[in-house]
Amino acid sequence: MELEGLSKRFGWNWALRDASVRVEAGTTLCLVGPNGAGKTTLLKLVATLLRPSGGDAFVMGHSLSKDPDEIRQRTGFMTVRGFLYDDLSAAENLHFTMRMGGLKPRREVVGRVLERIGLDDVADNRMRTFSTGMRKRLALGQLLVRPIEVALLDEPYSGLDSQGMQLVDEVVSEFKAAGTTVLLASHQDGEAVREAEQTGILRKGRLEILPDSEPLSRHLSVGGPAGAPEVV
Amino acid sequence: MSVLHRAWAIVWKDLLIEARTKQSFNAMVFFAALVLFIFSFALGPDTELLQRVAGGLLWVGIAFTGLLSLSRTYQNEETSGGLEGLRAYPGDPRAIYLGKLLGNIVLLLLVEAVLIPAAGILFQANLWPHAWGLALVSVLGTIGFSLVGTFYSALTVNLRAREVMLPLLLFPALVPVLLGAVNATTLILEGDLMGEAIVWLRVLGAFDIIFFVICIWIFPIALEE
Amino acid sequence: MGPKSVTEKLLGILALGAMLVGSYIGLAVVPADAAQGNVQRLMYVHVPAAWLAFLAFFVVFVMSVLYLIQRDERWDNVAAASAEIGVVFTVVTLLLGMMWGKPTWGVFWTWDPRLTTTAILLAIYVGYGALRSFADDAEKRARWSAIVGVIGFANVPIVYMSVTWWRTLHQPPSSPRSVAPDILWTLMLNLAAFTLVYAYLMVRRIRLAKLEGELEKRMAYNA
Repeated sequence: MELEGLSKRFGWNWALRDASVRVEAGTTLCLVGPNGAGKTTLLKLVATLLRPSGGDAFVMGHSLSKDPDEIRQRTGFMTVRGFLYDDLSAAENLHFTMRMGGLKPRREVVGRVLERIGLDDVADNRMRTFSTGMRKRLALGQLLVRPIEVALLDEPYSGLDSQGMQLVDEVVSEFKAAGTTVLLASHQDGEAVREAEQTGILRKGRLEILPDSEPLSRHLSVGGPAGAPEVV
Repeated sequence: MSVLHRAWAIVWKDLLIEARTKQSFNAMVFFAALVLFIFSFALGPDTELLQRVAGGLLWVGIAFTGLLSLSRTYQNEETSGGLEGLRAYPGDPRAIYLGKLLGNIVLLLLVEAVLIPAAGILFQANLWPHAWGLALVSVLGTIGFSLVGTFYSALTVNLRAREVMLPLLLFPALVPVLLGAVNATTLILEGDLMGEAIVWLRVLGAFDIIFFVICIWIFPIALEE
Repeated sequence: MGPKSVTEKLLGILALGAMLVGSYIGLAVVPADAAQGNVQRLMYVHVPAAWLAFLAFFVVFVMSVLYLIQRDERWDNVAAASAEIGVVFTVVTLLLGMMWGKPTWGVFWTWDPRLTTTAILLAIYVGYGALRSFADDAEKRARWSAIVGVIGFANVPIVYMSVTWWRTLHQPPSSPRSVAPDILWTLMLNLAAFTLVYAYLMVRRIRLAKLEGELEKRMAYNA
């Protein structure tokens, strides 16, 4: 993946300005930075949900502005709230994800994924009854039912207990092993964050890749999921 | 064709949710019934008058009800991440339009299936002999309404003043549909001795075809961010 | 506001001149209509205004299509200018129609095809304008307006046909044959005068839009 001067403006406000970075396939880029710095905007741009106001990005050789659909085909996006329907069950939500991804929904695949994320016993319960942590797990699960080459994770740790966080870390390593490129934005510290090959800090829309030597802890909040203090 | 598959996935999802919660359906039926009742009160016991304007009143009810359901079309998506989530999936975004369109049409037709007989009773108009004609007008009119409605809902979904903009944009666009539907219905109920209703049905049909082509063509542009 | 070009000034003078001449002839020189009396003179303003209301919207349509194809904001500027000017002419048309209607038919409003279509045109214009005011950035504004412009315009002929089938009370469209030559002549003159006014207003408005666009861009890049 290669970002070249990627920029996005909303009205007069530049949410992202001139972001450039190269991410090798199968590696992880971790994005840190204060709220409103542009992490989500960057992820949304790569997910092709937003059109760049300037610059471009290339994912697997496909240009963001020219073949967004090719990129969508290979990308999975785990958003902060998760894209899930309250009145469908966990299994049904995953079925929907598969169909919208152009796949025939297969019960074994859905079952396997539910088991992996620890939701198999509540598979047929409506999402309305789920806790935040369970919803987050399901959101993660949505990335597992489709074959993807790029995984975008926006604050994957938020709302999860330590088991959940461990699950995220495991899934990210599995992604790496499978050669999937991972873009991960996080306030919170975690193994996946620390293991990332590259880390970039976003400040007021500007992306700066941190050199390897810089200690990460300066830029992250330490501590667990519940009400972690904001990043410097 | 994967566009149809994905559109179908959306229709299935929306109707499944609707069947479980019955949110929209109930609200719509109640609201429409309210409208019809008020008209009955306003026009009083003059049966002949009621019968003459039955066609018009019915479609006023349907139009307002349809508007209500349109506002909710994308609201459903809102709690689950908004239209964004649907846009993140691969494939032609027109599948979204098709899916939402079909969902709206089905829902509105279901409401009309309750509403039209109710109107028949309230306005003391005998509907049975005209059942086929009425069904045809109903379908064509509903399609026309939903075509433009679904499109403009998507356009205004993120606007601050959505509740005002949607009717404002929709009103001029719906004039042909409403004219056609009301006139066709009224003529049919009166027995349509001169076969004039067919003209209106043609207007509705033409509108449906023209706007289907236009809306589905332009839809991806409406969805860009 | 920036320097006016020579063309603009020339156009302005021409437009003003034409209006003065047209009005004078229409109000004072040409004899009143045999049947309707002096009220008929309103037609010299009403008809051109109506013509321009629709022409302006046609321009909006063409510009909208061009914008959707080329995404060049210049087309959007023209469209927006035309829409603003078009609204004014539409309102004038409706008001004059009402003023004419009262003495001639006894009512302020009738549901005849042309008046109704004009009223609907007004609604479309208003929708267009309202939508523009809600878009926060230039690109979105242009894109949404273009969409509404296209759909709105596609609607106009359909609305017209529908209402025609529904009612016909308006005077049958006057064809040159049945109208006295000097009346026709005067009408054409006023039509030309109004068109010049439209052109003049457009040129000014587009220039203003360009300046506004520049300002927006500068503010964006400095933010």
